[in-house]
Amino acid sequence: MELKVIKVSSEQPEQMEIRCHEVSEEVREIVAFVKSRQGQLSGIQEGKQYEVPVTDICYIEAVDEKVFLYTIKQVYETRQRLYELEEVLKEKYFLRVSKSLLLNLMKVKSIKPALNGRLTAVLKNGEEIIISRKYVPALKNALKGGVS
Amino acid sequence: MHGKEFILACLRSFFAIVTLVNVAVFVLGFTMDPERLFGYEVFLMPLIYGALGILPNIVMYSKRELKIRELLVRKAIQLVLIEGLVLFAVFYGDKNMGDHIPSIISIGVCIFLIYVIVNVIDWFQNYNLAKHMTKDLLEFQKNVKE
Repeated sequence: MELKVIKVSSEQPEQMEIRCHEVSEEVREIVAFVKSRQGQLSGIQEGKQYEVPVTDICYIEAVDEKVFLYTIKQVYETRQRLYELEEVLKEKYFLRVSKSLLLNLMKVKSIKPALNGRLTAVLKNGEEIIISRKYVPALKNALKGGVS
Repeated sequence: MHGKEFILACLRSFFAIVTLVNVAVFVLGFTMDPERLFGYEVFLMPLIYGALGILPNIVMYSKRELKIRELLVRKAIQLVLIEGLVLFAVFYGDKNMGDHIPSIISIGVCIFLIYVIVNVIDWFQNYNLAKHMTKDLLEFQKNVKE
């Protein structure tokens, strides 16, 4: 695929256009990446595609090689990988708190101790998420100095 | 828990056990056999019991996050193994085990108490950490919103 970046004057709107023979998995990944940079993630629920605002997502979890977006009331599946989302959503205050979970720090109400040296993040909707000991230093650092 | 995290947890347990074994030996010795004298080798005993006490930590080793029920079952197995190992080390080769029933019960209860105290200390450390992190979290959220 040929790639062109064209500078436009500040009066013209910025836009991205993808010209392709068919909307392949690769094209969908590029679109998902761009949307995530703009503060939205594509989520699938019961076969329908939705645009989920990043600010509505409480956490993102990988389960059996599938990745799910959890909002307060809904769960969506996404095609993006957890490590890709981790990279893209760093600036949106998402942080990895266990091997399979990215947590939106803005949705956490408090942190409490759990068994065996782990911590639990209590979300604003009352849901509880386990924070692995391994990820505690990174979380402490993020809370002290900011995520990005 | 695995890797470096597991080794650090073992070290923390070791030093907590050594300290608490010293206290237990003092209390048990003072109440059950206050006249007895010891040589310098007695200073090694808490270290040996500390080492024995962390051997069963192997049952807590896991590459994935354990669920609460799995964790509690493993902790129960860990306690049984510690009791068994320490009692075996103390009474190994003793032919008059029947005469030592009160001592066996006292040591067994002491091991249980030490186990509970080690876990409570660990929980309190985490409680303090969680409290500080919640304070930092609220500050962080306030700064982001501003």
